[in-house]
Amino acid sequence: MSRILVVDDEAGIRKVVRDALERAAYEVDTATDGQAALLALEERVFDLVITDLAMPHMGGLELVQTIRRTSAVPILVLTVRQEEREKVRLLDAGADDYVTKPFGVGELLARARALLRRKEARGGAPALSQWGNIEVDRDARTVRKKGDAVHLTPTEFSLLTTLLSKPGAVWTHRQLLAAVWGTTAGVTNDTLRVHMGSLRRKLEDDPNQPRWILTEPWVGYRFSPED
Amino acid sequence: MSSTRRPRRWGYPAAVLLVIAAIAILRLFPNLTEASVALLLLLVVFACAWIWESGPGVVAAVAATLGFNFFFIPPLYTLTVEDPRNVTALLVFLVSALLIGRLSATNRERLRLVEAERADLANMTRLSQAFLSDTNQESLLGVAASRLQGALGADAVRIALADDQGELAQAPAASEIPVREDLVELVFRQGNSAVVPLESGGTAMYLPIPIGLKRAGVLVVFGLRSSERMAEGCAVLLGLALERERFVRMARAAEETKTSEQMKSTLLAALAHDLKTPIATARAAIENWAAEARPSPTSQLATEQLQALTRRISELMEVVRVDSGIAGPRREVVTCAEIIEAAVTRFRDALAGHSLSVDAASPEVLVEVDPGQLTEALGHGLENAARYSGAGTEIRVSVTADEGRAFLQVADKGSGVPAADRERVFERFVRLPSSAGIPGTGLGLNIARSLVRMNGGELTLSGAPSGGTLFQIQLPRADR
Repeated sequence: MSRILVVDDEAGIRKVVRDALERAAYEVDTATDGQAALLALEERVFDLVITDLAMPHMGGLELVQTIRRTSAVPILVLTVRQEEREKVRLLDAGADDYVTKPFGVGELLARARALLRRKEARGGAPALSQWGNIEVDRDARTVRKKGDAVHLTPTEFSLLTTLLSKPGAVWTHRQLLAAVWGTTAGVTNDTLRVHMGSLRRKLEDDPNQPRWILTEPWVGYRFSPED
Repeated sequence: MSSTRRPRRWGYPAAVLLVIAAIAILRLFPNLTEASVALLLLLVVFACAWIWESGPGVVAAVAATLGFNFFFIPPLYTLTVEDPRNVTALLVFLVSALLIGRLSATNRERLRLVEAERADLANMTRLSQAFLSDTNQESLLGVAASRLQGALGADAVRIALADDQGELAQAPAASEIPVREDLVELVFRQGNSAVVPLESGGTAMYLPIPIGLKRAGVLVVFGLRSSERMAEGCAVLLGLALERERFVRMARAAEETKTSEQMKSTLLAALAHDLKTPIATARAAIENWAAEARPSPTSQLATEQLQALTRRISELMEVVRVDSGIAGPRREVVTCAEIIEAAVTRFRDALAGHSLSVDAASPEVLVEVDPGQLTEALGHGLENAARYSGAGTEIRVSVTADEGRAFLQVADKGSGVPAADRERVFERFVRLPSSAGIPGTGLGLNIARSLVRMNGGELTLSGAPSGGTLFQIQLPRADR
């Protein structure tokens, strides 16, 4: 069973998030701030960390940065900020996803589920990925849609496998540029948008209403294998 | 330096006296040959020309020639010459003396100029270092006059500076000598320097102090002893120092504004967190409760009301942000399609009850705006369209462009806004009678228009061809 650490200084939020997660049969521990969270992470292994952004002593951003120095545990951040730059900073620091307060319980559980699935898939992940009507063979570098071969350029293939490596997680423009082009210098978000548009045209049933490769406005992209 | 230069009028008698003294000494040695005497006399001419330069040098050459003839060439003590060969010798002597004198004087003069320039340069460097270490206008001007006076070797220096309106005001400086205000004004307006003689002797120089293509004021120098070029250089230096001081002041002011805006921004963010956390807790608690018992219309209503409350808080925060001036746009070049996509994504819930169609005829049109603010503004249009048109009707979002402008439009099939009220609804808290019973604060359109205008655009309402309201954001294109 997956174990989740919930970090928030508000007792109310800790209680409602714990209730929701326990109802979905997860094991839950709680911490009241960043420092307490780091102690808890030293003591036992967690499959997911859900943390508030604004907390006394050690805030969410600093917590994310500290965790990322030693651990790849998925991190979901609870934020109130509508500001995209704040989200980009969090994601660049290593957070995997965020939900904006006040969130719906259903939305929170869906995000947690997506991040936990990645955790399970790690360790012996097969080279073939399959979702919806798409199949990807990483070794042969081929992609099939409804059984028909789809021709992807090397850049498109690289973009796709990068997105597939963290299903459910949000990738910032910068992270994608660094992962696919190896640099953020000289490549613009524009270039990224063009390649992403082309990838969507080849894979999505309706590129104008994408189901799998989703845009996070002003932040980046997310690969969502669920409908 | 020129002030230590020997006055030239003393040079003439001094040169003659030196030649006479040399001849008297040479007369004490009767065994010297005529050739030796000639060479030694040339040396004396060289010395005279070196010390007193060209005029006295020529006089020394002529005096030496005459003396040589009178005292050393037979017949002695006459200016006549017996031996025709001596005539040639005498002529050669004269020409050599004149040439040596000229060369010596020229070299000395050059050396003096080089030294003066080096001294000027050293003074300028000292002056610029002193000016650059002052970052405050009062302390800069307080010492500028005395520093300039020292560097220029002047009797007195006064500085008249123009204020922000271009009116000249004189900096206080201790000086008995009256400044001619008409000249100061003239030099300031025309930008050419002027030199006038003073009744007490000496000159007064009026120099414009340049700042870029304009002038900061006028520098007046009394009894200038160094070169005019040096004085001009000093005026330029003073202009640079004043300009630098102005930039430092501007940078400091900008820094202060930024810090205070950052503080306001942080406070607002903390406030948003404090307001939204209890709502988030309440919403999740209701949903948990409903999941444990059974979903009821009551829990659904409570959730909806909490969402409405959240939206109102966001709107109020946006008003505070706009009013306090901390919502300055952070612009970047984006496509109109992205703005539409972002707004449609963010307001998905509000649009759920309608049929949305996106018609991007010119999706790749570029605009330079704060993307978050434009998304928010367009979102208000979508939200209003959803509120004021019947459930299930079509809401049409489109982007078009002409030569220089991009148009983001939201058209609904609602009852529309009467033409007479299309401006009034942008006022704060104004809600039309027809909107009774529909939730809203009367702030949305006002915020949307503020956000669009901050980004250099315009927001208007008109009648849509489809019969409802046409909400249109007009922006300058960034790709033309």
